[in-house]
Amino acid sequence: MSDKFLHTPPDLDLFASEPPRLDDALSRRVNADPEKLERGLAQLVLTVVELLRQLMERQALRRIDGGTLSTDEEERLGRTFMELDKRMEELRTEFGLDAEDLNLNLGPLGNLL
Amino acid sequence: MIDLFAITDDPAPPLPTVAPLSAVASHGLALVCAPAAHVEVSPEVLWRHEEVVEALMEDRDLLPVRFGTRLDDETAAARALGERHEELASALDRVRGAVELSVRVLGERSGEADADLPDPVTGAEYLRAKAASAAGERSAVRSVHEPLAARARDSKRLAARDRHELLRAAYLVDRSAVEPFAEQVSRLQHANPRLRLLCTGPWPPYSFTGE
Repeated sequence: MSDKFLHTPPDLDLFASEPPRLDDALSRRVNADPEKLERGLAQLVLTVVELLRQLMERQALRRIDGGTLSTDEEERLGRTFMELDKRMEELRTEFGLDAEDLNLNLGPLGNLL
Repeated sequence: MIDLFAITDDPAPPLPTVAPLSAVASHGLALVCAPAAHVEVSPEVLWRHEEVVEALMEDRDLLPVRFGTRLDDETAAARALGERHEELASALDRVRGAVELSVRVLGERSGEADADLPDPVTGAEYLRAKAASAAGERSAVRSVHEPLAARARDSKRLAARDRHELLRAAYLVDRSAVEPFAEQVSRLQHANPRLRLLCTGPWPPYSFTGE
């Protein structure tokens, strides 16, 4: 394995902080097995919701950059997105999905998110 | 059942002996497979698959097949090749003579324990944290990804898996250009001392097989 390192920073162990995902190779597709259909459906729905959430969040960041929001509005927007983010995480955990599962490969267009 | 490992040209050099491999040829392509063995998924089984694909990669061009792909038998394999041979042949042409290199970039705060980075409490803090990480990503793309992508035959940004990760990308690089590419990564590391760059490979071109 060590011969696979072409360039490493001095503190290589920082890169090992993420938990390994054994099911990486297996979980990326919507599974049509009836018992797992619920999970597949949740994956699709959550993918769409996550796309909208990210788009709105980016829009909010642009508005803050543009300086068109009052401090109050900023706080309210930020709180809304923070809560949405938390809720998405809870839903993902509930359905055993991980952030990467909420992405779709659009072929030549690249990934959805 | 047979496990599939890779799609290669036919004819190709003799198969490596790391596994009881056989090649099913059709329309100038060959599907490298072995009798299905494992039942349980484990890290060892995944590494075994990777080892076979990498042994094949040493002396031939290939499209790696995702771990866990199975067909009934060699007849089904020949049929699969026949049905998709144009698409597969052009995908193989796209990666011909090249390998995949992976680059990950961490930001400067990544060394701190999570306890040092408290979760944002107020809405404004949350947005500021988001804005900061978006700015970090943009700067990693500009200072690392763009110069590397310019050297590669093709490149693909992948989703970050960790909140400290500013960039995760795959590059399709000619075999002869692997060393200069790694040197370029070292130069970029030198020019960006606040980032941490990790470059690994060569890997089979998993990110460039066009699914």
